[in-house]
Amino acid sequence: MENTKPLNRLPRNLILSIAFGVLFIVASSMVPAEFLSWLWDRMNVFATVFLGIFVEAVPYLLLGTLASGLVEVFLDRDQMSRWISNRPIAAAVTGAFMGMVFPVCECGVVPLTRRLFHKGLPLSAGISFLLAAPVLNPIVILSTAAAFGWGQMLFWRIGLSLVIAIATGLIFSVESEAGNVLRPALTLSHEHDHAHDSSSDSFIEKIRKALLITADEFFEMGRYLILGSILAAALQTFVSQSALLTIGSGPVLSVLVMLGLAILLSICSTVDAFVALGFVGTFSFGSVLSFLVFGPMVDIKSVLMYSQVFKKRSVVYIVAIPFMMSLLFGLIFNYFQP
Amino acid sequence: MQTRMYRSFQGLLLMGMCVFFASKAANGQLTWYINSRFIPLTIFGIIFLAVLSQIIFAEIRRSRKRDEEHGHEHDHDHAPAPVNLWIMLVPLLIGVLIPARPLDSSAFATKGFNTNSPLVSADSSTQSVQTESEERNILDWIKLFNLEADISQFEGERASVIGFVYFDETLGENQFYVSRFVVSCCAADGFALAMPVEWSGAAALEQDSWVLVKGTIEPITLDDKVAPLIVADSVVAAPTPDQPYLFP
Repeated sequence: MENTKPLNRLPRNLILSIAFGVLFIVASSMVPAEFLSWLWDRMNVFATVFLGIFVEAVPYLLLGTLASGLVEVFLDRDQMSRWISNRPIAAAVTGAFMGMVFPVCECGVVPLTRRLFHKGLPLSAGISFLLAAPVLNPIVILSTAAAFGWGQMLFWRIGLSLVIAIATGLIFSVESEAGNVLRPALTLSHEHDHAHDSSSDSFIEKIRKALLITADEFFEMGRYLILGSILAAALQTFVSQSALLTIGSGPVLSVLVMLGLAILLSICSTVDAFVALGFVGTFSFGSVLSFLVFGPMVDIKSVLMYSQVFKKRSVVYIVAIPFMMSLLFGLIFNYFQP
Repeated sequence: MQTRMYRSFQGLLLMGMCVFFASKAANGQLTWYINSRFIPLTIFGIIFLAVLSQIIFAEIRRSRKRDEEHGHEHDHDHAPAPVNLWIMLVPLLIGVLIPARPLDSSAFATKGFNTNSPLVSADSSTQSVQTESEERNILDWIKLFNLEADISQFEGERASVIGFVYFDETLGENQFYVSRFVVSCCAADGFALAMPVEWSGAAALEQDSWVLVKGTIEPITLDDKVAPLIVADSVVAAPTPDQPYLFP
C-alpha cells in the first residue's frame, strides 16, 4: 500500500498542474493588461519584501537551531535541574534572564526553548525565557541603546519586557502538567531512538550530532519562518501602512496601531529599535514603547513557530497576555506621561 | 518517504539555499533585500548552510554503510513529513522565478512615501550639515529640513542627488519626485523619501527610471511642512546604484 500511493498520486498531480496551467493561460489572456501589470508590480514588491525578511532571518534561525543542537548534545537533565529551581517565581525570573547567556532573537529562541523543555526546563521558566530573551540579551540591549541612547526608552523596554515575561510565565506555572501545554515531542533524527550512551561519544562525534539536529530543526522551524514571512510580505503588499499610520492618532488608537504594526512588520528584535526610531515624533512615547515591548514577543512568524511547540490554546494565551499587558502599559504611558 | 530520501532532498535544499544566497552576495544583490550591515551575518549563513549540507550528505553515506553492514533494519523509521521540503523550496522558487527588483514606486501604494516626515534618526543631522551640499543624499536633505532650526540657510544651496522618478498627481506639470527607499534592517521596513523637483523636461522622464538631479534648493510648503524643492538645471539618466537603498 505505502509504496503504490506515490505512483497513483503522481499522474493525478501532473494532470491537475497541467489543467491549472491551461486555465491560467486562458484566464490571463482574458483579463485586462493594466490588471496584469498591476499584479506583476505587486508580485515584485511581495518577492522583495519576502526575501528581505527571509534573508535577514535565516542566519538568526541557524544560530538558534545551532544553540538548540548544542544544548541537546552537551547539556543533560541533571545539570538543568541543578541550575534552575522548580519554584515558579524563581524559575520564571531565571528564565527571563537566561537571554543574557543565550543571545537569540525571536526566530532563534523558539527552537532553543523547545529543546530546553525537552531537557526538563520548568514551564514557567521556558515561557518567560521565550518572551524575554528576544529583548533581554546583550545584542538587542546594545542596538536599542544605539538607537535611543541609555535613557528612558531602553530602561522601560527592558523593565516592561521583564514584567510581562515573568507574569506570563507565572500564569503558566498553575498548569502542573507540561503535556497540557506543550505539543508532544517529535523525535527528529532516528539516531536518538537507538540511544547508545551519547556521553561516551568523542567531541567530534558530539558536534556532528549537534549539527545534524541543527539541520533537522532548521527545516522544521524554517517552514514556519517561511509561511510567516509570506503572510507578512503579502500583508505589506496589499494592506496600506500609510493608511494605518494616518488613523493612528489619539492615545488609544496609536497604541493599537503600533501593536498592529509590530505584528505586521515582523522585523527581527535585534534591529527593531532602529525601525521604531522612525516612529518617534509621529507617535507618542507610550505607543513606540509598546511596539518595542510587544514586537519581539509576538509577530506573524513567531506565532506560527510557537504553534510548533505549544498546543493551540497555549499559543492563544502566549499571544493574548503580552498583547493585553503591552496595550495596558502603552495606555498608562499615554495618559500619565506628560 | 524514507529517511534516506528525505535526507537527500534536505541536503540538496540546503545546498540550493547556500548557492542562492552566495549568488546574491556575488552579484551584489544582497543590498536589494537587507541593510549592508547584515551582510557579514549572511556570509556566515552561507558558510553554515554549506557545512550543514555536507553533514547531511555524510549522514546519507553513513546510513548506506550501516545498511550494508547490518542489512535493512531501518524499515521502521519514518522521516518527518515531506511538506517541510516543499515549503523550504518556496523561497528558492520565488527567488528564481520572480526577477529580482529592488523596491520602487510600485511599493508606494501600500508603503506610502514621505517628503517631510521625521522618520529618520533623531540625533544625527549634524553629520548632514557638515556634509558638502553637493554630497548630500535625499536622506540628508530631509533630515536637515526636519531637524535644523534655521532652514533659510539652505536656500540657494547646490544639490546633486540620485534617485528614481515618481510622478504624483498632486504635483504641477513640470514637477516630479526624486525618491529613494531607506532601509534600516530589511526591505520589510523600507520606507520611501522623496524630494520634489522642478524641471522643464519632466514630462519626458519615465516613472521609476534612475536619474541624477542637479540644481538649487528652495524651501516650499508641502502638507503644511517645509520641504526641500530642487529647482533643477540638469536631470540626466543615471545607472541604478549598487546599493539602491539608503542605510541610515
